[in-house]
Amino acid sequence: MTDVATGPVTSDITEEPVTEEIVPTAVGDVKVLRGGDGPPVLWLHSAMGEAADALCADLASDFTVAAPYFPGFSGSSGIEQIEDMEDAVYHLLDLMERLEMVRPIVAGLSLGGWMSAELAVRYPDSVSGLVLANPAGLYIEGHSIGEIFGRSTAEIADEIFADFEQPLYKLMKGIGSSIERSLASGAIPFDAVRPHLEAQAAVAKLAWNPYLHNPRLRRRLNRVSVPTVVLSGTKDGLIPPAHPEAFAAEIAGARLERVDAGHMLVLERPDVIATAIRSIS
Amino acid sequence: MRFFSFHLMPYPELPEDYDGPAWITIPNKLFDPAVGTKIYNRYIDELILAEDLGFDGVCVNEHHQNAYGIMPSPNLIASILARQTSRVRIAVVGNALPLYDPPTRVAEEFAMIDNISGGRLIAGLVVGGGPEYYSFSINPAHARERFAEAHDIVLKAWTEPGPFEYIGKHYKLRYVNSWPRPVQQPHPEIWIPGAGSVETVEFVAKRRYAYMGIPYFHISVFERMFKMFREACQKEGYEADPLQMGWLVPIFVAETDAEARAQYEEHFWYFVKRLLPGITISPPGYTSLRSYENMMKGMGSFMASLENWEQVVEGQYAIVGSPETVTQKLTENLERLGAGNLLGLFQLGTLPADLTRRNLEMFAAEVMPKLRAQFPDVAVSG
Repeated sequence: MTDVATGPVTSDITEEPVTEEIVPTAVGDVKVLRGGDGPPVLWLHSAMGEAADALCADLASDFTVAAPYFPGFSGSSGIEQIEDMEDAVYHLLDLMERLEMVRPIVAGLSLGGWMSAELAVRYPDSVSGLVLANPAGLYIEGHSIGEIFGRSTAEIADEIFADFEQPLYKLMKGIGSSIERSLASGAIPFDAVRPHLEAQAAVAKLAWNPYLHNPRLRRRLNRVSVPTVVLSGTKDGLIPPAHPEAFAAEIAGARLERVDAGHMLVLERPDVIATAIRSIS
Repeated sequence: MRFFSFHLMPYPELPEDYDGPAWITIPNKLFDPAVGTKIYNRYIDELILAEDLGFDGVCVNEHHQNAYGIMPSPNLIASILARQTSRVRIAVVGNALPLYDPPTRVAEEFAMIDNISGGRLIAGLVVGGGPEYYSFSINPAHARERFAEAHDIVLKAWTEPGPFEYIGKHYKLRYVNSWPRPVQQPHPEIWIPGAGSVETVEFVAKRRYAYMGIPYFHISVFERMFKMFREACQKEGYEADPLQMGWLVPIFVAETDAEARAQYEEHFWYFVKRLLPGITISPPGYTSLRSYENMMKGMGSFMASLENWEQVVEGQYAIVGSPETVTQKLTENLERLGAGNLLGLFQLGTLPADLTRRNLEMFAAEVMPKLRAQFPDVAVSG
């Protein structure tokens, strides 16, 4: 286990440009942030559907990086053909082929970390390494994952951010105590929350019940045979540290790194994720 | 015109200092079984009284884990009513199909009630409210698909010879063979409640079921809904029968307008301010975004946003007054809406037993006969 120094780190690596592309897949057209040259890295976002610009720009200097938006997020289509995590894994396999990514390092945050693990336990040879940042996917008695459905974005923002200067934190706080009230009063236009509502519906398909976990995942984690780093934001108010700890304990040889940050590691500490990816490449 | 007495069975004794939602997370330590024993029996008596007073039917409905209506199983109440009444139609509005797994359970229980009552059941089929998808952990992204499949299963169970196999996306049933079968053939009258979504209106119009306007909106919202329904029926090639439409509204009658308001208002506000909060929660995927957007646009005319009595009167959220006032307002609105079923809520919020009984009696004696004379074209059932 390694303790990562606290505070933002200024990268001295030259940032390479990444661009948004539309990639046709078996379920529909999906939006992918792509760039760089080198060994392949696939980044999977959380249930928030956050953009990973800083991380991708950083990685693009050493890797061929792709950060797809899952169907239902940011205009990616095809969610009507995806019912559960099983379908999500097949979508990833299809997408990797279309992106010509052979045995990439797969890394993801929260929902994306869970998806990475589900891919790796089913098709261990399809990945060359895993970085799981505050991953969902397990049920641990006494350490339940917080509620993401039916609550105000302002409340959730306080659980997923430790850095209150993040633009997404401010946006979520700004929506107020109730999306419904804000919409009814006309305080925010419907189009402003449409992407959020679509994303929530997509997450519900994968994670309503069982809630953000797969009861069979834990006993399958021994199938992971590639270098793995598990990142745990010690100020994560949504997914308790017991979750990343359990992933690290179940995956042979996995390294657990504790980071002084919240749930949204890809926004608060993209440098830590990039370092973890470089460490197993 | 058919007259129904609708009972929500609200929990009337929430502590003064509780100001949270009435749904999903309302602590159940607030439920006092001593109160429960008293009010279940009182509310059943109030439903039975409607038959004695000449109503055409009674209505019950299903909600879970809430204080708004403590009737998680309306079929239990309906089966009591099947034995304790002999003439009224018993409308269960309805069973939330996606919450029954397998949904053949609904075909069976409804058929039991239809048999016990000698063919008096009206079968309401509903998607279930948004809060129920939290209370049951049923995936809201599947709500509409499950409803559509469950509807087909129930209807087939009643109308097609069993056993047969039903293999759908959500339900895979190798032997569907409902015992008993319903008394009413080919099946009991079917009511579907809706809040104006195009999909539901078209679903009901196509199958010639009856459309019940979901309550607690400004009268103009009902007007739009029923207009949309009539147009949907025309598209299907027929004119909507008034009996295919139902208007659900709180009603309170007293000697004078002033007395009615004075006796009623506090109980009405308990309902609006204590029991409605939380009812509109819409879990992800529960409706199409188009329907959700329309719903949000309509939220300004939802009862929960009311602040004063003038708004209640202006929007006809409740019909309250002397027999003359209530008769006049109901006549105007029924003409305006074209609905042939009046579903009155004669008990609301904390309205006590004595006022509820007098309300029902005065309505039956002084309002109902005039409305029956006013709308004679619609046959009275029973």
